[in-house]
Amino acid sequence: MTDDPLEEEALPQSSSEPAEAPGLRAELQQEHDRHLRTRADFENYRRRVERDREVASRQAKRDLLIALVDLADDFDRALVHISESPNSVAAGLHGMQRRLGSLLEAEGVRSFESVGQPFDPTRHEAMATVRGFAGAPGTVVDEAGRGYLWNDELLRPARVRVAE
Amino acid sequence: MAKAIGIDLGTTNSVVAVMEGGQPTVIINAEGNRVTPSVVGFAKNGERLVGQLAKRQAVLNVQNTVYSAKRFIGRRHPEVQSEIKNLPFTIVAGPNDAVRFEVAGKLYAPEEVSAQVLRKLAEDAARYLGEKVTDAVITVPAYFNDAQRQATKDAGAIAGLNVLRIINEPTAAALAYGLDKKGNETILVFDLGGGTFDVSLLEVGDGVFEVKSTAGDTHLGGDDFDKRIVDWMAEDFQRDQGIDLRKDRQALQRLTEAAERAKIELSSQVETSISLPFVTADASGPKHLETKLTRAKFDQLTADLVERCVAPFKQALTDAKLTERDIDEVVLVGGSTRTPAVQALVRKLTGGKEPNQSVNPDEVVAVGAAIQAAVLAGEVKGVLLLDVTPLSLGLETLGGVTTHLVERNTTIPVRRSETFSTADDNQPAVDVHVLQGERELARDNRTLGHFRLEGIRPGPRGQPQIEVAFDIDANGILTVSARDQETTKEQKITITGSTQLSKADIDRMVADAQAHGAEDRQRREEVEARNAADAIAYQVEREIQARADRVPVNERARAEGLIQEVRKLVQGLSGDVTRLRQLTDDLRQLAAGLAAAEGAHAQGFGPSPTDAVHDVVDAEYTRR
Repeated sequence: MTDDPLEEEALPQSSSEPAEAPGLRAELQQEHDRHLRTRADFENYRRRVERDREVASRQAKRDLLIALVDLADDFDRALVHISESPNSVAAGLHGMQRRLGSLLEAEGVRSFESVGQPFDPTRHEAMATVRGFAGAPGTVVDEAGRGYLWNDELLRPARVRVAE
Repeated sequence: MAKAIGIDLGTTNSVVAVMEGGQPTVIINAEGNRVTPSVVGFAKNGERLVGQLAKRQAVLNVQNTVYSAKRFIGRRHPEVQSEIKNLPFTIVAGPNDAVRFEVAGKLYAPEEVSAQVLRKLAEDAARYLGEKVTDAVITVPAYFNDAQRQATKDAGAIAGLNVLRIINEPTAAALAYGLDKKGNETILVFDLGGGTFDVSLLEVGDGVFEVKSTAGDTHLGGDDFDKRIVDWMAEDFQRDQGIDLRKDRQALQRLTEAAERAKIELSSQVETSISLPFVTADASGPKHLETKLTRAKFDQLTADLVERCVAPFKQALTDAKLTERDIDEVVLVGGSTRTPAVQALVRKLTGGKEPNQSVNPDEVVAVGAAIQAAVLAGEVKGVLLLDVTPLSLGLETLGGVTTHLVERNTTIPVRRSETFSTADDNQPAVDVHVLQGERELARDNRTLGHFRLEGIRPGPRGQPQIEVAFDIDANGILTVSARDQETTKEQKITITGSTQLSKADIDRMVADAQAHGAEDRQRREEVEARNAADAIAYQVEREIQARADRVPVNERARAEGLIQEVRKLVQGLSGDVTRLRQLTDDLRQLAAGLAAAEGAHAQGFGPSPTDAVHDVVDAEYTRR
């Protein structure tokens, strides 16, 4: 829009031409402006839809991964009791846990260590405090559920008990 | 221009929303959630944590983690004695009996704590929008007095926000549904959140809301419902296994999460299973919790909680000097209003009125605040309100079916075009029958006009390309044009009445289409099956004629038999879709076989209707 037609005519109008209705020019300018705004709005809208779609699909995947991580917790809990089970069952359970683990890994999900580290609310969720623990106060004593990262972003905090 | 945001500053959770391109959007916070806990933690190293992070460290830092600040904002210490004893942090009287939280030896006013939450919400909004955010509308309960409103406004100022306005939560909810455009109506806003219940009666007229009355229960909400499920599960488990899971912090956490999940599932299902393997262990080994909860049982467990909503509702009516019959609109707010028993109660109390609940009830207040913010910031002014077509528009195609070009609720101005073709060899003209309505068959829709495009050059059916365009301008004026691509001959018709239908007419036509949906689809399927069979029969017939002697006699006889059967079915307007599809498949295979056999001889046999014209829709014009 280099040569703006609105600024072209500064010359006096010839008397034979019909007089221009007052305000028409301003109105045209306004409409032109509105048109550009609408175009811009639409462009912005298109970009936003794109972004929202990404966010939505990511969120859906995240929800699914969190549910799978909860299932991984169940395996962790089961394997605590593994010595009480017959050997072949134990082996099978271990196998299932590994399968789930590699599935999560393939999706970029990995667990992180928490025990012995200082409590960090960006990675840990405190469940309880423990008194009379040898470690420094504020240290994670044990975990009720492992913490998981999804491509370096926190998927689920570790659920931990912390030394008082 | 900077964007203005809307904030629902809640007792337990807060939500922030903004208008983008005329649509409200709830902003996702830095932790990836749509709601932010209204919790502030003062860590020992002096760091302040807000929201989810503050909540995670709460048990380590009980004395220094402040929540429910909203229950104290703008209030005097003597007024809040009953609240104080429920909370684990220290609350003292400051200057002029003002409430102060004592955290790590320092005193903080409730507005300072709320300011931390507001600041985080504004920062998350700025990160989302990619620009600094300063202007905001903040909501407060309708029963807040001047001091509480002023303190909330101060909290905004402390957070560095320019508070455009403090508005009532029920008013925001009503705004989210556009109820400000209603004239002289009475609106019931039923708000059952996580921890509080509020019922308000509003009157709207000339775009202005007036709160007629408000009542509620400051300690009733979704958390109480969850607790009932936890207790039920724990008592059951204790009876069977002799272990009280509520005494084990980890088990209790798992129970609470499972209870909330079960409650949510019971809003859409009548039964849900709860499974907590290895929930605990004793000398005899690990123990699992495995149970089913039906909606009926859940309703029974929570019947008294639901019943507690009745008295405040009645109170609000009495205070407003109104009866149930005066209520015109009902708005549901708060996640707990998704509970079927709560919805049933609201319907019962309002004489069966259908509540507004299309906007997420957890977010509806923030959405309304965002709308108000955009209006106050002048963003909404000057925005052209675009109309939509109330009903679908299309034309009649082969077999008397409607082919829609413009779907209902399409924003206008709009232009849509599609290429059609002829249904018979050497067809000289096509008739354009312009239709309005949702039904599948042309005769069930409303005729807007007719015109005829003549002078189409003779050719086999399916070959001419006729572009039909529907153009609706901003005033709702519809122009339909048909143009023969080859001869560039064009005809058009302009129809002015297409958007001037009464609401009742539109509703009736849409309802009709829904009521007849199944049979209409069936009839359309029949027509399409006949059209497809007829088209392939025509194609095979032409190919056989074109290469007469090169087709083996048996192939030819088979083809003729199939074609004959198709013609008979088509002429008899048969509804035998299965047989028609079978015949279509057989003929397609036959055509493919012929083409393969011929491949060695020549480069194909004259144009087939489908190959010759791209973008030709299956349905074609009927010949007059």
